[in-house]
Amino acid sequence: MGDAVTRLKDAVMNYEMESIADLAKQALKDGVDPLIAIEKGLAEGIKTVGEKFGKGEIFLPELVMAAEAMKAGLAVLEPAVPKGKHRSSAGKVVIGTVQDDIHEIGKNLVSTMLTSNGFEVVDLGVNVPSNDFLKKADEHSPHMVAMSALMTTTMPRMAEIIAPLKKKHKTVKVLVGGAPVTDTYAKEIGADGYSGDASGAVDVARKLVR
Amino acid sequence: MKPMSFGILRGVRFQILSEGDLDRIHWATLHVLEKVGVQVDSVSCRKLLKDNGCEVDEKTKIAKIPSHLVNEALVKKKSSITLAGRNPKYDMKLDMKHSHMTANGNGAVAVDFETGVRRPSMKKDVVNSSRIIDYLQNIHCHWPMVSSTDQHPSVVHLHDFDASLNNTEKHVMYETGVTISDAKYLTEMGYIAAGGEKEYRRRPSSSCLQCTYAPLQHDAGVMDASLEFAKSGVPLVFFGMPQPGATGPSTLVGSLVVGNAEVLSAITMVQLSTPGSAVIYGMGNAPLDMRTTIRAGGSPEHALSSAMATELAHHYGLPSCVGVSATAKTPGDQAVLEYYTGCVGPLLAGADLMCGVGLLEDSSCLYYEQIVIDDEIVGAIARLIRGEWADDDTLALDVIEKVGVGKNFLAQKHTMQHLRTDHFMPNLIDRRSFDAWSQAGSPTLRDKAREKVKWILQNHKVPPLDADRQKQLNAVIERAKKPMWGGETKR
Repeated sequence: MGDAVTRLKDAVMNYEMESIADLAKQALKDGVDPLIAIEKGLAEGIKTVGEKFGKGEIFLPELVMAAEAMKAGLAVLEPAVPKGKHRSSAGKVVIGTVQDDIHEIGKNLVSTMLTSNGFEVVDLGVNVPSNDFLKKADEHSPHMVAMSALMTTTMPRMAEIIAPLKKKHKTVKVLVGGAPVTDTYAKEIGADGYSGDASGAVDVARKLVR
Repeated sequence: MKPMSFGILRGVRFQILSEGDLDRIHWATLHVLEKVGVQVDSVSCRKLLKDNGCEVDEKTKIAKIPSHLVNEALVKKKSSITLAGRNPKYDMKLDMKHSHMTANGNGAVAVDFETGVRRPSMKKDVVNSSRIIDYLQNIHCHWPMVSSTDQHPSVVHLHDFDASLNNTEKHVMYETGVTISDAKYLTEMGYIAAGGEKEYRRRPSSSCLQCTYAPLQHDAGVMDASLEFAKSGVPLVFFGMPQPGATGPSTLVGSLVVGNAEVLSAITMVQLSTPGSAVIYGMGNAPLDMRTTIRAGGSPEHALSSAMATELAHHYGLPSCVGVSATAKTPGDQAVLEYYTGCVGPLLAGADLMCGVGLLEDSSCLYYEQIVIDDEIVGAIARLIRGEWADDDTLALDVIEKVGVGKNFLAQKHTMQHLRTDHFMPNLIDRRSFDAWSQAGSPTLRDKAREKVKWILQNHKVPPLDADRQKQLNAVIERAKKPMWGGETKR
């Protein structure tokens, strides 16, 4: 059983995006506890990869591939987790690019970085209607909502979400980012945190979600 | 001596791609457009493509465009484009013989020239940078360099345009026409500044750059606005910017194919809607830095991609507008390295327009000093690409005979005549001796740039637009003001 968990960890570390699903299925068949498989296998693997990236030993494509491998493993293991039990994570984050903005890459990088640092990420995609941010916050009760905007023209969309979100979810933290967004702007619209790049977003998220 | 004209007259050119390479890139692009297609979010553009025989999937919004439509569009486009200045001496004739440098555009942050504080940009930054661009002789085209974030959020970009039109006589290119209503207001303001629609259509003194979305997507607002601009006679740049390794293949040529498919499909839509409209081929493929997740503006790959995009544009008979930027956080050392690398490659390859200079943090932050440093860089490159030729005058045989052995050429008329045209005279580069330099306080490049900015802001006067036009521009902004989503924000 220990071997199966180690194999899953190695599969993430070796970017085995195609074969990891089969490994996960086999682990379940062999009676491995899905929660342990996730926490000691997948999560440990992505953590190691994230650390290597932080030290500059590997580059972004490797980190993204490891995150993809982890996702493929999660897709098999998560449905097998008994109801009422939850995997431990650094925090739950709902993330998306705001309405009328279809820029994806920055948001995806933050999503990947958060995942590789132990956060549970619900990615809503791009051009997300403001109401959907609110609805998904109701549904998932996240610790943090993260929003991205790449254009000066779509940036104000972030402002319109924050007020109703905070009204309903008193403790939820809001992280904003994107090329035109500044620290000053973030404060002005009532966001709790801002980051200019994906690595910084993790540090801010860690401080906000404790 | 070659005749003087506005822009950088090009005498040399280096070549990266062969004709065969360019053909292969074109065929690969046609393959992508036919087999993979592009996502077209605009309902009216999808209808336009469908009516013209494209296979359109309404569910995925993906349109597959047959080759003949693309090739026809490339024939239909306007064949000669002049981007006019308010003052005709600044007219940029895109004749494939001259290169032109533009300001960089639409950052949202500025470093305050007085206090040195990095803060959200304001309308006064647009005003000041416009005046600086107006003054600098190696920058030929203006962009609103930053956003007037101290103005009402619904009309920020109209204030940007207003501040630009009022503070430079050079051509103004903007990149903020991202909805139909934006397009209408910006067009109206352009007409007003030019003295009416008829005059604008004759001499367009403003234009719009539109970005496509990599990989292979067209935003609804951007394309709807583009059709509106084309109908109104506003020249358009379609600017692809896949990031090699991230939103395009890691290979520069692969990303060029992706960007090319985006640009050609946009041009196709515009030419189907308004045949004969003025379009310029734009591209700025800077890779994603795989260590920091920052776009590597001003990298050698950015320069090479812009150079190759220029070759491709010329292959199609289109003028090019290609990108340069810098990831440096402060003016000086790194910014110079990045801007020099980023500019010299594409300019050597014959870029018709290069956008643009003066912003740091990859086109995000205005740093006044960098604008004048970049002007110096472009001045040096202009000398580099002017070219040399051997004729009676340049061979100077008569002068060599006259001076003879062991003397010098200082007192020759020939020397004086060629000094200003053949030798680059720097403004900021310090060539004094160590002693002279240290006695002057050992100024750095940045110190000298700061002095120059100070001088320009104190001394350079730009003739204002006439009062009636100013009033009309303000009226458009007032009319365009509307409440923002979720009620008013503070700004």
